[in-house]
Amino acid sequence: MPTALRSKGFIALALLPALLLFVVFVIIPIFWSAYYGVFEWKGIGASRFIGFGNYSEILQDPIFWRALKNNLILVISAILGQIPIALLLALVLLKNSFFSRFIRSAVFMPMVLSTVVVGLIWGYIYHPQFGLVNTVLEAIGLESWTRAWLSEPHINILAITIPINWSNIGPYMIIFIAALQNISPEIDDAANIDGAHGGKKLVYVTLPMIWSTVIVTMVLCISGSLKAFDHVMVMTHGGPAQSTELLATYMYNNTFRVYRYGYGSAVSTIIMIISALLIGINYLLTRRKAE
Amino acid sequence: MELRTTRATGTTMDSPNRKLVRRGLSGLGKLILIGYAVFTLYPLYWLFISAFKTNEDFFKRPYALPLVWMKENIFRAWELGGMGRAMLNSTFVTLSSVVLTLAFGLLAGYVLSRFQFKFKKVAVALFMAGLLIPIHSTLVPLFLMMKQMNLLNTYGALILPYTAFELPIAIFLAMGYMASIPKEVEEAAMIDGNGWWGIFGRIIVPLCTPIVATISILAFLRFWNDFSFALVFINSQELKTLPLSLALFSDGFGTDYSLTMGAMAIAVIPTILVYLILQDQIMKGMVAGSIKG
Repeated sequence: MPTALRSKGFIALALLPALLLFVVFVIIPIFWSAYYGVFEWKGIGASRFIGFGNYSEILQDPIFWRALKNNLILVISAILGQIPIALLLALVLLKNSFFSRFIRSAVFMPMVLSTVVVGLIWGYIYHPQFGLVNTVLEAIGLESWTRAWLSEPHINILAITIPINWSNIGPYMIIFIAALQNISPEIDDAANIDGAHGGKKLVYVTLPMIWSTVIVTMVLCISGSLKAFDHVMVMTHGGPAQSTELLATYMYNNTFRVYRYGYGSAVSTIIMIISALLIGINYLLTRRKAE
Repeated sequence: MELRTTRATGTTMDSPNRKLVRRGLSGLGKLILIGYAVFTLYPLYWLFISAFKTNEDFFKRPYALPLVWMKENIFRAWELGGMGRAMLNSTFVTLSSVVLTLAFGLLAGYVLSRFQFKFKKVAVALFMAGLLIPIHSTLVPLFLMMKQMNLLNTYGALILPYTAFELPIAIFLAMGYMASIPKEVEEAAMIDGNGWWGIFGRIIVPLCTPIVATISILAFLRFWNDFSFALVFINSQELKTLPLSLALFSDGFGTDYSLTMGAMAIAVIPTILVYLILQDQIMKGMVAGSIKG
């Protein structure tokens, strides 16, 4: 064995680059934003200490609450949209036939596209004049349903959930397929002998067997939805009239459009707290259910 | 190629009638699946046909094949959008970040999976926390910090944060994989007179090829497609990456649809090619990464 001293030197040197980079660019900014959050600061000139002034202003800003609501809409649409569709696809695409492999790769494909490309394409699909959605609606005689999908408040945030779900279903599907393939054939046979088929088998046998995977995907949906930024930034910039603002775009717009660095830092701290809360709540809720 | 939805154990007692119903259902299921596949692929197909149209053609027959295939669109988009430069920047930034992520991540993963030392638990917990931090919430403080470090508008403004944010996943994947390598391998290498660096470089890294592939794929896709960091940390035209150039291009040439589509087609082709070649590894890698992350 190399001497203990040489081991220590190796440990320190091997760990140092990763640790240093991670602490400087990930951990320190968190504290930095908490610190700047208590200042009124325009980015240039002197900053002024205002205590919790930014925080109370944020909590009183209706736009902040709208942004939070929009984020929650994304979370709910991800949990209700991505997980069931992914599970359904996984159930029917379980076999490794050529057909199901082809469908799987098609479903997964949007995941490798840049979010900017996804946002731009869907921006065109929703275009009021030549967009695919309105064209199809007109073709099947539903002219009254056509609209400017990304401009009308209340509808536009729902319209935005579709491309996000569209591109994120693939990985969940693959996760479910892996989980389903792990169910031992004996259990499957036992269920068949006991007369469990179709929906019954799904609810009483299959779902409980993969419940831990469902929880994992739910946590991923929550954290993924809180990260949403690119799609909205590309499709609407959070507009019109801030109707599609998300927490992250709210932070971005306040910091880099109107140059309120202190305020933006406070928002970023709040995002951190909200994510921690949501992930914690989900953890507690699903843990109880799993028991 | 037949997709059988019935299981061997269930079919033995079926009457011919039920078989017929099942076959019908399976056919219907296939149709729905094909419909879903079209739903995921059509936007991309539409992007490519639109990229080769004149604007007039695009407006008049947005969903038909091009009347004339306008290859010029692609060249014009390439020049006007500075796509060549953007692709060079994306390539450089992505490759450097992937290399750094691999080097630092594997080293740290090795130390954390093999050695016992005082602050090990703290270090592991720290990296673990990194998996939960929402990336965008650090945009503002990172911007302010890098402004003071004079890092904004340099390649470092992207390479360093990319690597830092990818390290937790890389480290956990590496730790998990290295735990499965038997200790005897190292002991044998030690007897042959290798130090820790030798063991790591000559024995461990070559054994880690599968996980190196996973980490690289994950990192490549994340860095290549990143928009938010580039948007906030990069301002100068010379340093813009592909997604950023694309977003700005569509703002600037918003009404020249076929040109914008041409630029998008250029940006999409590399990822599609990589996906077609490596799709199995990409699927597995992204799933492994997302579960850990």
